[in-house]
Parts: sequence; C-alpha cells; structure tokens
Amino acid sequence: MRVIAFLNNKGGVGKTTCSRTMAEYLSKVKKRPTLAIDFDPQCNFSHQYLKMEIDPAAPEGLMPPIHPDYDPHDPDHSDWDGRSSISEIFYGQGVVPYPTYIEKLDLAPGHAEKLLAAEAVRKNDVVEKVHKQLTNFLNSADVKAAYDTIVIDTAPSKGPLTVSVIKAATHIIIPSVMEEQPVQGIYGMLQLWMQESLIREKNRPLTLVGILPNMFKQTRLHKDILTSLQENTAIGKYIMPVKLSQRIVFAEIDSEDANPHSIFDFQENHVAKQEAMGFVSL
Amino acid sequence: MSKKKRFGVSQALSRGLSETINVVENNAGIYRNVVLPLSRIELDPDNPRKLAITLTDVQQGLDKIDPLYTRKSEEHERLTELAMTIKSSGVINPIVVYKLGEAYRVVAGERRCLASIIAGKQEIEARVFNEKPQGFALKLVQWIENTAREDLTLDERINNIRDLLREYQHQHGEVAVTPTLLKNVTGLSLPQATYYGAVLNAQPDVRQMIESGKIRSLDKAAIITGIDLPELRYEALSACVNGCSLKELRKIVARGKQNIRKHIIPNGTAKRGRAVSRVNMGFTLHPGVIQVIVESVLSRAEYKKYADKFLKVDWAHIGQATQMFKKLIEILEHEGEIA
Repeated sequence: MRVIAFLNNKGGVGKTTCSRTMAEYLSKVKKRPTLAIDFDPQCNFSHQYLKMEIDPAAPEGLMPPIHPDYDPHDPDHSDWDGRSSISEIFYGQGVVPYPTYIEKLDLAPGHAEKLLAAEAVRKNDVVEKVHKQLTNFLNSADVKAAYDTIVIDTAPSKGPLTVSVIKAATHIIIPSVMEEQPVQGIYGMLQLWMQESLIREKNRPLTLVGILPNMFKQTRLHKDILTSLQENTAIGKYIMPVKLSQRIVFAEIDSEDANPHSIFDFQENHVAKQEAMGFVSL
Repeated sequence: MSKKKRFGVSQALSRGLSETINVVENNAGIYRNVVLPLSRIELDPDNPRKLAITLTDVQQGLDKIDPLYTRKSEEHERLTELAMTIKSSGVINPIVVYKLGEAYRVVAGERRCLASIIAGKQEIEARVFNEKPQGFALKLVQWIENTAREDLTLDERINNIRDLLREYQHQHGEVAVTPTLLKNVTGLSLPQATYYGAVLNAQPDVRQMIESGKIRSLDKAAIITGIDLPELRYEALSACVNGCSLKELRKIVARGKQNIRKHIIPNGTAKRGRAVSRVNMGFTLHPGVIQVIVESVLSRAEYKKYADKFLKVDWAHIGQATQMFKKLIEILEHEGEIA
C-alpha cells in the first residue's frame, strides 16, 4: 500500500489541488481503491467531496456531516454521534470513511476542532498521542485490505500533524510556488524528511518523489527561481520534470456546482488536463 | 543601462536545501538514532577493550570475594565519575549498537552504558545499525571509538589492531602487513603505523611487559622490539621499566649496534656494498704520528735516499704533515713497483 502525502508548511502553494488531482487520477482514471485523508484543520480537501458543516458550538471551523451509513435507531450505533473524521484516530475511535461521487474514492475527512486539538498536544505526550496514531491506523488490517493507495493532504505546518503524516507516508511530494517564501517551506519539509529518513529502517524508506513547481506563471521571477533550483546539483534531481501552471480552471472545479467537477472529466486535449496527467502519471 | 535582474533563491536557503538533501542521501537507512531502554542493552564480549567490570557487577554491586575486586572497584570509581557528568548533562554522544535477537549489543559505548546505569538512568540514546556490522566494519568502529579514548592501555590498543587486521585479512585474504597497509586500514600516520607494525611482532619478553602494563609507550615498545640481542633487550626493558627517557633508550640501542658491528661481522666475510679495492689509511689528530711513520720508513736502508725530501717540515703543522704523508705513500708505492 502506497501512502502519498503532499507537504509544504507554506500555505497557498496548492497542496489541496495536488492531493485532489492525485486522488482523482488514481480512483477515476486508474480505477484503484483509494482513500483520501484530510489532515488539515481547514478541511478544504474534505469540502471537495462532502458538504462539511459549521458546528455552532465549535468556532474553530468545519466538521463532517452525518455519515450516510449512520442509523440512529441501530443499537450498534448507540455510542456513535454519526460523524466520523480522520481525527478519531487521536481519540481511540474507529474511522468510518465516507463514500464520494467517485466510485473508487473514499474520504476520511478532517474535523477542524479535533485536528487543532491534536496539533496542540503537549510536547511530552506528542509521540504517543499524535505521531504514531496515523501509522497505526494505516497499518490496520481493515485499511490495508480496503485500499491500494492513500492520498493525504496536510496542514501548512511543521507541527505534530505533519510529523505524523511523515511518519506514516511512503512517498512525499512537496508542491511549491517558485517564490522565496514557499521555497523556504520546502526547506522546512526537507528537514522533516531528513529527520524521518535517519530513523527509518532500510526496508521502509521514505521516498521524496520530488518538488513540484506549482501555480507556475511565465514570469521572470518564477522562471529564474525554477532555473536556479534546477541548476543546483543536489536539489536539481528532486525538481519534478513537470510543472502545474497557474490556471483558473483548478479553482473553477472547486466550486460546489462546477461542471465538470474533476480535471479528468475534461477533454483529452484540454491543456490543464494534459498538465495534470503529466504530473500524476510520473 | 542596468542589467536585467535575475531572480534566484537566496544563497543561504539554497545551501540549506542541498545540505539537507546530501545528509539524507548519504545517511538514510544506514542507522537509526533512537532512545533505548538500558535493560535491552548487552555488552559485546569480544570488544577488544578489556573492562573487568560486568553489567551484573554494576547492577548488583561488587562482591568483595571476587578475585578481580581491586581492579573492578577502580573501574567502578572511574565509571562513577562519568555517571556524575551523565547525571548533570546526560550522555552527549549516542552509543552505537546493533540488534541481536531481543537485545541490542553495544558496538561502542560500554562505559557510557555502565555509567548511565550507575547514574540511575532507564534509557540511553543510541545509534542503531540496521544490520549487524560485518566483522571488519565492526572492529573498525570499535577501533575508531577506542583510539579516541585516552585511558586505553597499550596492550588494549595493540589487541585492537590485531583484531582489526585479522578481520581485514578475513575479508581480503592473507596479505602482508606492511606499515602502509596498517596506515590505510587504521588511518594512523605512517610512523605510528610503523611502530604498531613492529610491536605486533614483539618478542615474548617485550609482549609480557606490555601485557602487564609495565611498558605503556608505543614508541618505547617499538624501539625495544628492534633490539635482537636478548641481553641488550633485557637491559633496555629494565631501563624502560625504571622510567628511562626515549633518548636514553635510543642510546642503548645505538650501543647495541656498535657491538653488533664489532662482534658479529668477522674479518674477511662478505660485506654489503661495493667490493673493497683499496686500503683506507685512517686519520689521526696528531701530526706527530706521521713524523714517527716517516722517520721509521726513512730509517730503512733502501729509503735513506729520500731523507732530503723531508728536511724542512714543521711536524706540528697538520697541513704539512698530511702533505708529507701523501708524499711518503707515493714513494712507498713507487719503490713497491720497482720491487
């Protein structure tokens, strides 16, 4: 089972769009059973596939809707409130993924309040309470049996949530805008990659697939920074040989009633779809 | 007109990125840094450093009936000193271990482990090799670890090298142990490697002194090993044990060499170097000696005719005496030919 995570502690570099593109490619185009996990308290990734709700009692943000399988009259569900998010792993409860409109794609959505609580766990407890939990969950027999690939969208942070994703991942991709601040975010992620790589066992490497130039504009700034990274002998080989351009179509398909709703529903010769295919098929 | 600006990531950031990537590429999967419970750690019985004190001694206290009690209590005292620093500032360098069944065996860091137990610690930071290091690599790590230590005896150091070489030969086949090979294997300097090379083959009497700790200096041991004559070696050994300096030791060796020349090479046997074809007349500090020689020769009947050639000589003058001696040799050779 492959666990692909998109990371960058700088926000707004397109982690969610990349996660979405990858998840939809694997499930929709490759027809592989895929689980999308939203590890970002902002829950944007979840919102692509579910009508996330605002909790009146929790000002922090979104929570998942009632699960379609939930039956309040079922005695088996008596200790369940009907909602399930990936953050249940921090509370010792089972995660019930939601089906999405794509047949092969399930979603373990985020839960703003609970994820923020996990991110705020004290330093002494963090290893047991947060860092190990995602790995444990993904190693469970149920998850392994049900899914071929896991795609994880992460929070723009270097905190416990991101560390737990790094610990669970087999592959990481760092999307970045070709500007100074997001490139600093790459550095933050490479540090986490380094720390994790040095403690991992040889037969379970953490593969850095690469740095993905994202939201690319044909400006001197973007072109020059990309070139300077490519020309560096150490970094150059990790710059992915494709780039996703800044296109309004990626934002358009995000809206609730968008049609088409997935980049892979466009015609074959659509320029954005071609770029996306170039990236995901690597 | 100014040049068009070229953008790029800052130098510091670009350096940071490449350094991080290099660390991962060069180190990932070789070992892991983890915190291990001390209860899972066991010492390597084959570690070339011979600590008398054992894990059990540290855990349960020393037994006065133990024949090694004195040595062990000295070691315990030193470990307690280390334990004090561990209490105050922790173990600074992680120990090196590899997994052996349920336990972790120490490659480097025995003293740190024992001292941590004395300090009342439950865990210790360790660098875990993912695979058991192969013989040579294991010995090399132990050697590197041990050379960095100052309290290692000469005997322990020599044994380290011997183990290291055995493992090297095990891996590379039987190769002759030259100083250059030793230098390459251990990273020692050539002179040091030469000394170790000599001491590795020390005579039994020298070895015994090293083992008993009476000789602690590598240079002295190497010099004494170079003496072939047993009596002279004995003299050097005694001098060394009595604390003579390196210079004094070298004098003994030099004396031995003179004796060897006098005693061992008999006249007429083949010598090294070019064949001797002429007689060396030697030298003297006293020109009077030449006067005696010259007058003695001239006193013989057949040489009296040359007496006038030696009339106005100042025999106290070295230069004149030398000239006269040369002249005498010429005359003698001339007369010899005639004869």
